[in-house]
Amino acid sequence: MTRTAVVICPGRGTYNKPELGYLHRNHANRMDLFHSFDAIRAEHGQDAITDLDGAQRYSVGRYSRGDVASALIYAASLADAQALAGDIEVVAVTGNSMGWYSALAVAGALSAEAGFRVVNTMGTLMQTHLIGGQVVYPFVGADWRNDPTRKAAILAEVARINELPDHVLALSIDLGGMLVLAGNDAGLSAFEATNPVVQDRFPLRLQNHAAFHTYLQASVAAEGQAALERAEFAQPDRPLIDGRGKIWWPGATDARALKEYTLGHQVTEPYDFTRAVQTAARKFAADLFIVTGPGTTLSGAVAQSLVLANWHGMADKAAFQSRQDDQPLLVAMGREDQRALAID
Amino acid sequence: MDRAQIVHENFLTRVANRDFPLGPAPQPGLGKVDAVSLFRSQVLSRALDRASRTMQKEGKGFYTIGSSGHEGMAAVAHALRPTDIAFLHYRDAAFQIARSEQVPGQQIAWDMLLSFACSSDDPTSGGRHKVLGSKALTIPPQTSTIASHLPKAVGAAYALGAARRNDPEHRELPKDGIAMCSFGDASANHSTAQGSINTAGWTSVQSTPLPLLFVCEDNGIGISVKTPNGWIQASMQHRPGIKYFQANGLDIFETYAVTKEAADYVRSRRKPAFLHLTTVRLYGHAGADVPTTYLSKSEVEADEANDPLLHSVRLLDQAGALSPEKALKIYTDTCARTDRIAAEAASRPHLTTAREVMASLIPPSRPCKPTNGPDAKARAAAFGGDLRAMDDPQPMSRLINWALTDLMLEYSEIVCMGEDVGRKGGVYGVTQKLQQRFGADRVIDTLLDEQSILGLAIGMGHNGFVPIPEIQFLAYLHNAEDQIRGEAATLPFFSNGQFTNPMVVRIAGLGYQKGFGGHFHNDNSLAVLRDIPGVIIACPSSGADAARMLRESVRLAREEQRVVVFLEPIALYPMRDLHAAQDGGWMTPYPSPDQRIALGEVGVHGDGTDMAIVTYGNGHYLSHQALPDLQAAGLKTRIIDMRWLAPLPADALLSATEGCKHVLIVDECRRTGSQSEGLMTFFCEERARVPIARVVAEDSFIATGPAYAAPLPSKEDIVAAALNLTGGGK
Repeated sequence: MTRTAVVICPGRGTYNKPELGYLHRNHANRMDLFHSFDAIRAEHGQDAITDLDGAQRYSVGRYSRGDVASALIYAASLADAQALAGDIEVVAVTGNSMGWYSALAVAGALSAEAGFRVVNTMGTLMQTHLIGGQVVYPFVGADWRNDPTRKAAILAEVARINELPDHVLALSIDLGGMLVLAGNDAGLSAFEATNPVVQDRFPLRLQNHAAFHTYLQASVAAEGQAALERAEFAQPDRPLIDGRGKIWWPGATDARALKEYTLGHQVTEPYDFTRAVQTAARKFAADLFIVTGPGTTLSGAVAQSLVLANWHGMADKAAFQSRQDDQPLLVAMGREDQRALAID
Repeated sequence: MDRAQIVHENFLTRVANRDFPLGPAPQPGLGKVDAVSLFRSQVLSRALDRASRTMQKEGKGFYTIGSSGHEGMAAVAHALRPTDIAFLHYRDAAFQIARSEQVPGQQIAWDMLLSFACSSDDPTSGGRHKVLGSKALTIPPQTSTIASHLPKAVGAAYALGAARRNDPEHRELPKDGIAMCSFGDASANHSTAQGSINTAGWTSVQSTPLPLLFVCEDNGIGISVKTPNGWIQASMQHRPGIKYFQANGLDIFETYAVTKEAADYVRSRRKPAFLHLTTVRLYGHAGADVPTTYLSKSEVEADEANDPLLHSVRLLDQAGALSPEKALKIYTDTCARTDRIAAEAASRPHLTTAREVMASLIPPSRPCKPTNGPDAKARAAAFGGDLRAMDDPQPMSRLINWALTDLMLEYSEIVCMGEDVGRKGGVYGVTQKLQQRFGADRVIDTLLDEQSILGLAIGMGHNGFVPIPEIQFLAYLHNAEDQIRGEAATLPFFSNGQFTNPMVVRIAGLGYQKGFGGHFHNDNSLAVLRDIPGVIIACPSSGADAARMLRESVRLAREEQRVVVFLEPIALYPMRDLHAAQDGGWMTPYPSPDQRIALGEVGVHGDGTDMAIVTYGNGHYLSHQALPDLQAAGLKTRIIDMRWLAPLPADALLSATEGCKHVLIVDECRRTGSQSEGLMTFFCEERARVPIARVVAEDSFIATGPAYAAPLPSKEDIVAAALNLTGGGK
């Protein structure tokens, strides 16, 4: 009997020190795929991802760069998706932020190489321009219970700061129980100054991240569209859920519209990952939510998104953990203990 | 075997065998990708029909009227914009699904299954009812009475044009939008449908913009009664002012092409069109209906052989858009997916308490821009010489007219409509000069059809206007009452407060016109309005009260989105005197425009404690006439004017009657069904030890001529009843 699954591809910030060597450890049999990516990077004089992944030492400065992290994360996600067990039927694919590019390839709307060109180009452009930054702040407590009032208050504070002279601050990603905010330094600093530290680490500034999913990236979007003019988007093989919760159905997808969304709206407008996960749940009701590697951090946002939707009646973290212990709903391929649930 | 299962197995077998019903090749216009998308919507609609039946069998679903056979409506949706307001037939799941594909982020299968399960998570009705509907998709939730949504569709279409000329603060619909309404061939015969189609044509031939697409889904049968062959075409193709289009609803390519043409016509010409879509009905009317009990097996099988999904697979194959194998996979995947979602949706919570069910009877308030009241210059220009007369006592009709004028000056979104309200100024002159002051756009002379008047108001309410429709006489309300009871009042309830149609319905009514008009101009029954949940009934008895209550009624509609019935006692319109000729005792000066009487605030006259007379309207006037006789009898009396008949102003009545030894109810409506019944019950429950009696109208119609008031309470009746109740006063 097959297990139905939604595949979820992570975004930036998921290839960290523990992930160094991820490709070599988990996908030694897919080196051809990675070398094809290396060849594309070589065209631009960029380091090979096989070298990067195979390096002895990890440094934040080097690996958190957009032109490095994007390529490594994409390669790991796509390889993980290809490694899924034979009894898993992928009924839909989605991703978070940069993970959208991975999702496009996993769903078949882009070939592996075309997808790599897209992600490498966009990651490089983001790094080259590095316009603004991102900060993460939760609106739920440690129990994950929905707190729409708190969320509204935070967003009202964001709007207030954005109105100040020379301040830019906006919602970047709805990420489960967290809000990723993006803006210029004045906007981000103002938010950090006026909001209390919670859970010992938030507000958390994300190193080497730009103000993704805001209008500040309009010039990057324009450059991306020019650079990727020849990128060939196709009908996905599997339903693909974007950062608005829209489903791009096999056979019913306007490839040009998909490309326009990917290089336009998706770059400059807020990314609603929560909605994407909830749409995956409610429109596909799959047995499993599989978060591909690298890393494990997106799993929390997936679980929180499901709790916020009361999926399977789960209203808080304890309910999720109980369900997870009883019958795993979420599989993070970046975790060794869970990875085994998803591969042969 | 269950016909739904037969249709399902036919599909699987025939697609696998490439055994398709014959039909013309696909027409140009619909692209391959879009065609596949429409097929997906059709398949999901079918899968949902099947799931609804399974859920019902398992006790987890509560609605089985399906859309099978009508899946061509997906192509109609595709030819429209998601912002074109759509009042849908109950067989239009495919329309809603296809429209959801036009708006990113929809979770349509989940939403519809929650609706089948009547879960409180249902984003449309909140678990109150299975409805098609969605705020995000501009589909007001609709449940039948048959064709009752057509008058408001006409109204909404009118409102689209009106908003171009006079943009309301709370406009909901884009200015280049059109309205659409759909219904079955059987419903097309309903007087409500016929009236609406007639109104659309009547409006159109006068070149008033009315961008409305009627879509008649003709499956040839209404439950068990067949529609005569060619009936819809014969009766609809030559309607004046309405262009007729026809398409084969089994063919998504043709349906899309024809609907596109019709929609373009409606949008560009701002005129109504009638799209006649031929369909089949599969599985019978609803889950419990077995079509083979009234149709021959061959007739049933003939429809099943024409399954629109089979036609779609054939057409997609011929168009090179999708192979039958892939189509079959979409079908089986979608059925499996729908079953998985259904299992989850069925586990979601339901409403349990009356409080939860009732939570959306009253819509939420909406913020409105503050105003400083009507501008002095504008008032001077509008009122002219009337301004000088405002300090002098005036009869009620004039004060209502002035209050309307001030309100229309202050709020440009107010629009009046009714028979003779414009050029004539109303049969009693209440709306005199309003059309001169505000134009024919805001004071609309309608045709003679109360359903259309109320439908116009509902439709305009949908687009941010504050309509003040007038029903010329209370007796004329009854043929159109469902527009309030079944439509206007229920909209917040069925939409969980997301859609509203605020309005103030002015109705001239009640008895006591001296010898004029007989029953139909003196009707004295409010029973039809009293029990409608959420509806407010106001009934002033003096000019000053009328002005202040009208302002509150408009506030309730404009800010709190309420449906208010403002009942104006005709006999008091011209009333000047109270006790004797020329005493001017029933006239009042015009209260300044900032004065209102709040909902639930009753009028208390006097402080006597021997007896409280609780009354309203003409009863209030008559009670004042009786007062000298009661005083002469030594009865210290207070008179309480309810003013607000519904909801019952319970707290205010208790407070107003505090310490009174007797309560006399004076109600000019009938012994049966009148407000007096509610008041008797109320006081018995709340003031069990206080003796109570009532003076009411007899259970009779009203006569013309000298006996006009014979069945109605009189001053003498009140005096006699008071003395009887109190033991004769002193």
